[in-house]
Amino acid sequence: MREVKVVEKDKKNHFTGFVLKLLGNEKWQFLTIPIFLIALSFVVASVIILILGKNPLMAFFNLMQGAGIMPKPSYAGYKSILTDFLTLLNFMTPMIFASLAVAVALKGGLFNIGVSGQMLLGGYLATVLVGYSGLNAFVAKPLVLIIGILGGAMLGGVVGFLKHKFNINEVVSSIMFNYIIQYVLSFFIHTKYIDPVSRQSKYINSAARLTLVNVERFGLKMDLPLGFIMAIVLSIGIKLFLDKSRVGFEIKAVGANPKGARYAGINVGKTMITTMALSGAFAGIAGATYYLGYFASIQPRVLPSMGFDAIAVALLGNNNPYGILASSFIISIIEKGSTYMSSIAGVRQEIASVITGLILLFSATNVYIQHKIRTTKEKYKYNMGKELEE
Amino acid sequence: MDTLIIDGLSFALPLFIMSIGGIYSERSGITNLAIEGLQGFGAFFGALSVVLLSHFFNIPIQKLFYLALLLSMVGGMIFSLLHGLLSIKFKANQVISGVVINILAMAVTVFLTTQINNMVFGAMSDKFQIGTSQRFTIPLLSKIPILGAIFKNIYPFEIVIVFMAIFAYYVFYKTRFGLRLRACGDNPHSVDAAGVEVSKVQFKAVMISGALSGLGGISFAYSISTNFSPAIYMGYGYLAIAALIFGNWEILPTFGACLLFGFARAGGYYMGQLLKLPSTFSDLIMTLPYVLTLLLLIFFSKTNRAPRALGEIYDKGKR
Repeated sequence: MREVKVVEKDKKNHFTGFVLKLLGNEKWQFLTIPIFLIALSFVVASVIILILGKNPLMAFFNLMQGAGIMPKPSYAGYKSILTDFLTLLNFMTPMIFASLAVAVALKGGLFNIGVSGQMLLGGYLATVLVGYSGLNAFVAKPLVLIIGILGGAMLGGVVGFLKHKFNINEVVSSIMFNYIIQYVLSFFIHTKYIDPVSRQSKYINSAARLTLVNVERFGLKMDLPLGFIMAIVLSIGIKLFLDKSRVGFEIKAVGANPKGARYAGINVGKTMITTMALSGAFAGIAGATYYLGYFASIQPRVLPSMGFDAIAVALLGNNNPYGILASSFIISIIEKGSTYMSSIAGVRQEIASVITGLILLFSATNVYIQHKIRTTKEKYKYNMGKELEE
Repeated sequence: MDTLIIDGLSFALPLFIMSIGGIYSERSGITNLAIEGLQGFGAFFGALSVVLLSHFFNIPIQKLFYLALLLSMVGGMIFSLLHGLLSIKFKANQVISGVVINILAMAVTVFLTTQINNMVFGAMSDKFQIGTSQRFTIPLLSKIPILGAIFKNIYPFEIVIVFMAIFAYYVFYKTRFGLRLRACGDNPHSVDAAGVEVSKVQFKAVMISGALSGLGGISFAYSISTNFSPAIYMGYGYLAIAALIFGNWEILPTFGACLLFGFARAGGYYMGQLLKLPSTFSDLIMTLPYVLTLLLLIFFSKTNRAPRALGEIYDKGKR
């Protein structure tokens, strides 16, 4: 009887030991925990797909084929795995910016759920002011970015101001702005810029577009997202800014402990406004690269779901700009490959947002998992020590 | 004038019951931005159940009205367990947890609605048709000038909501459970010292808010459209939160705020019809409740006092 108990205890110890070996190393936790969370999400998604009577492994493989990570069995003319991959990067570019927007705000202790609205406003202003003008490419493209940044930063700044001046929760005010912008801009698009056939805003001039479309090289027609390089440069830039500059330090200090920051002589209100404006600026670039890069028009009455997916990306990437580069790659694959997957595997496309939602759900438990691992580790060490004594 | 009151009330009451749920949760110390997702999931659960029941047992769907209300409350409660787990057990940031639940609820319900429509009914649709709800007029009372409109063309769910609201009011202010719940949000240590487990009270409060949100959600599904569709995620959950902030986390003033929203919305549509504006202007009218929310928040947020321990997870070791 006693022996059975010992064996069971041994088994349990082995298991905890194994899990601790996988996730316990704090130096690598920034990598191991997100991978664990993604794996967990895919396990749950697999169960759903299995219940539907489909093969999950095949579905995930199709997902990667659709995103240009794995080769498809056949391609249409002028297309190959390379063009698919470039389309993925084209989609990923605004995703990186949107996620950086969420991350910057979270670093400052603010939750920017208004990224969608800021994207829409920045994209709309850039479309109307530059997209339809006849400016040449060298003037138009930088101007699109600048207007996008200003539009987003302005809206973000207003949210920060309302929080500082009137103590309005930034989540509630951002959501209200999201709806107001969505409907007001829909009104303007419908009355002035609508294309009667596509039911979207008219296409912008190609000179203003941030993605070079149908570039013919190597017998392929490729889409080259110009913003992608900028996304990488800015990811590194914002990381340095947050780590090395005074303002970056103030943002993080207010985020970690507003009271402490106030005692340290930091102007908390001003920092909050700066944080939200900076976050809005990133959302604005995201809007410019989304509406004037990935697309060339705006669908009225629709908020970009990317602004919400960006929350998942930022949480998964642990709010670290480098982490975000990796996690936005993964989320982009899920979102981008889903169309191909649904046509081949017969699993509905909407499963993509479910997987993203699951990743989001598990990412929210990130802190708890770290805490749990720490306490289990101590207990495990203690138990092991006692056993050795015996 | 009559339509204004009728439409205003049928919008304000579901909003009000959701706000009460929010008050329960927030006064117990748990920030609840998940109301939006909870109402959507609750409505989904109720609609799905009655659609399946009427399909497999050949029951006319109108007869299942009250069952739909009940099951929506159950559905909202089930989904709220997730918020409880994340924010109480796993000590996640409550704001993030709420938003996560909203996004997840939308993804899951849209996926399941299309999938189930495809599998069971063989239709390509993201809607569940739940039939129109009958409306009735109370004979004598409706003859009162102006105010009589309150008793005209009532949806049955409005009566249910009124009774639920009165009951919720009683429990919140007059019972021991309500007292403890309110204490959890202001001074959890005193509750703990009295020998009551804080996290249990909070978990119950979150579940109540889930159930009430579900009731609000299905009511919107019945009144605004006659189906469950992704259009239910219109931000009404967030409006409910704004309402409870104006109401200073008290039930009666919150009712006033909800009425204001309801009449602003109905009034906007009424004006649009009266001025014979082209249909594109409906986009501008749609923004009315949201603009009003922002303006009211600007005027009221500063003087309001949130529950003292709101958003902080109770930690026994911390004094």
